[in-house]
Amino acid sequence: MHWLRIYPKRTLWRLYWGVLVLSLILDALALYAHAFHYHFKFQYTLEFFALFGFFGCMLLILIAKGIGLFIVKEEDYYQRRAPQENGVQ
Amino acid sequence: MMAWLHPGVVIALGGLAIPWIPWRRVRQVYFLVLPLMGLVILGLTSWGFFGFSISQSKVQVPFSIPFLGYSLQPVRIHALSLLFGYVYVIAAFCMNLYALGVKNDWEHTAAMIYVGSALGAVFAGDLFTLFFCLEIMSWAPFFLLLFRGTKKAMGAALRYVLWHHFSGVCILFGILIHVHATGSLAFGPLPWGYGKDFLGSHLILFGFIINAATAPFHAWLADSYSEASPSGSVYMTAYTTKTAVFCLIVAFSGVKLLMWAGVISAVFSVFMAVLENDGRRLLSYHIVSQVGYMVCGVGIGTAMAINGAAAHAFCHIIYKALLYMGVGCPLLVVGTAKFHRLGGLYRYMPIAFWLTIIGGLSISAFPLFSGFVSKTMTIEAAERIHQPLVYLMLEGASIGTFLHTGLKLPWNIWLQEREEPPPEIRARLKDSAVNSPVHMLGAMGILAFLCVFIGIYPKILYAMLPYPVEFVPYTFTRVFSLTQMFIFTFLGFWVLRKLIKGHAGFVLDTDWPLRIAGGRLIRFCSGPLKALGAFLDRRVTQAASWTVAAFRKPLVEAALTPRFVGAGMLAAIVLFVLFVVRNL
Repeated sequence: MHWLRIYPKRTLWRLYWGVLVLSLILDALALYAHAFHYHFKFQYTLEFFALFGFFGCMLLILIAKGIGLFIVKEEDYYQRRAPQENGVQ
Repeated sequence: MMAWLHPGVVIALGGLAIPWIPWRRVRQVYFLVLPLMGLVILGLTSWGFFGFSISQSKVQVPFSIPFLGYSLQPVRIHALSLLFGYVYVIAAFCMNLYALGVKNDWEHTAAMIYVGSALGAVFAGDLFTLFFCLEIMSWAPFFLLLFRGTKKAMGAALRYVLWHHFSGVCILFGILIHVHATGSLAFGPLPWGYGKDFLGSHLILFGFIINAATAPFHAWLADSYSEASPSGSVYMTAYTTKTAVFCLIVAFSGVKLLMWAGVISAVFSVFMAVLENDGRRLLSYHIVSQVGYMVCGVGIGTAMAINGAAAHAFCHIIYKALLYMGVGCPLLVVGTAKFHRLGGLYRYMPIAFWLTIIGGLSISAFPLFSGFVSKTMTIEAAERIHQPLVYLMLEGASIGTFLHTGLKLPWNIWLQEREEPPPEIRARLKDSAVNSPVHMLGAMGILAFLCVFIGIYPKILYAMLPYPVEFVPYTFTRVFSLTQMFIFTFLGFWVLRKLIKGHAGFVLDTDWPLRIAGGRLIRFCSGPLKALGAFLDRRVTQAASWTVAAFRKPLVEAALTPRFVGAGMLAAIVLFVLFVVRNL
């Protein structure tokens, strides 16, 4: 089982970058070859899904972090606010 | 002779016997066989053993019972209920396998009653039976929470029961109003509209929405699921919300309000999940998000959307149980699922890691995994009714799902660019690649296999859906676009990975005003109200003793002869009668 415990880092990274670049090229080619069948016009934008994934992910994290400034509290927030009074003795 | 053997009754009543079996091995085998018996009964039903065949759009009611002038249908079998029944018993088997090591047998009993009542609800043919089963379902998990034994879990259990009793009361009143208005107790499509004629339906819908944890009434879910015992929480993930989705499909398909409620809940909870530090709370928010897809599908209401919602419920139960089990492994072994205390576990739990990754890829609808064949159906349904906003929000929520469940969760628990976990965690781990019990990994293995199997071969699932399926999941366009989207989501994650590292903290949710108000109420009761009570008590005692003292005076005592008291009583009665007669 020892082979399982080593995480094949470098190979995975190389594979990842390869697939990333390949997908960009393929997307452009397929778009010009009219191989896609979508329902909405905006989906036909060049590299729409790549941009959507990348910026959607970043926006999600950044906006949530912004909201987090207001709603993330210390771990025992409720316990501290209501000592012995949360319904349990 | 009984026309049909109810698997829910078999499992729930069978569960009661578990603690009384004296031999441990026999008990464990019995515990595993219970859901299998349910599976066999359902298989026989599909096969036609009970004398009726099940096909799409065909409804079977084996028997009905007269009750107070209504006729109850405790059992009604159709394609949708069989679909839910199958996944309930399959999931229950894997969960039982996972929970095999739990020492407390009453926890098993509570879990089996919970599973049995969920089966009862999906096979219920009338609103009364449905309500009865939903009420049991609101109590059984209470014990799964209590058996964790911590003070926090007890608080969460009480809040869970409060939420579910509130939803139960809404459903009960809705049913009463509905039955009074229509005279029908049947559990089928309910009338829908706006205005006070539909109050009954509104109340029932509200109750179902709370049970389905649709935003903003979802806070109970993250609150309670994250506090249950490691195996107890796995049970909780599957049944309550999915039964509510089933009820919504049966009663309210096509209600446009649900479409928007579902979309908002799918997106909202993804934002909440970014901030979470606790593995199980993060997954809880993703239950809310995924159930949002289903609720949205119910709201769209076309055949494809309903199929999508049902199929997604099926797949969701399987991959979500797998994910909760994956987080349960470190929770059980090292005692925490908080991200800021973990990381670097990969060397010690690689199998759990890879199985969790399969769950993560399934939930984010990666091609070749189960989520892909079900979630895309709902999304396609949204595209076909030309709702670009719904489409974008659902697709965006699936980015968030991949970001958290596929990337953030495994990365924070198992990797975090560390070779070794923090010393206090390392101290609790054996130097082996299998740190969690083998039966737990076995249960996860079965679920992971199902995730991949359904993803590769969705035909079986599609054949069980309530409507004929004319949807092809694997088209070049969809596979390519979604794969590309996920690859780039990973890039975004890698760029900002420092930002979503776990930090100790607690994220407030929409139940904040309720919990603060509840705390204030309890503080008011235990403080001023109690003082007022004591004050009134003192005053009444004082007044009583004064009165007694006044009558004890010799002069007064001498005047109170029996004749005087009798005359006084008579006069009082006459006066009272006169008063009553005058006012009539």
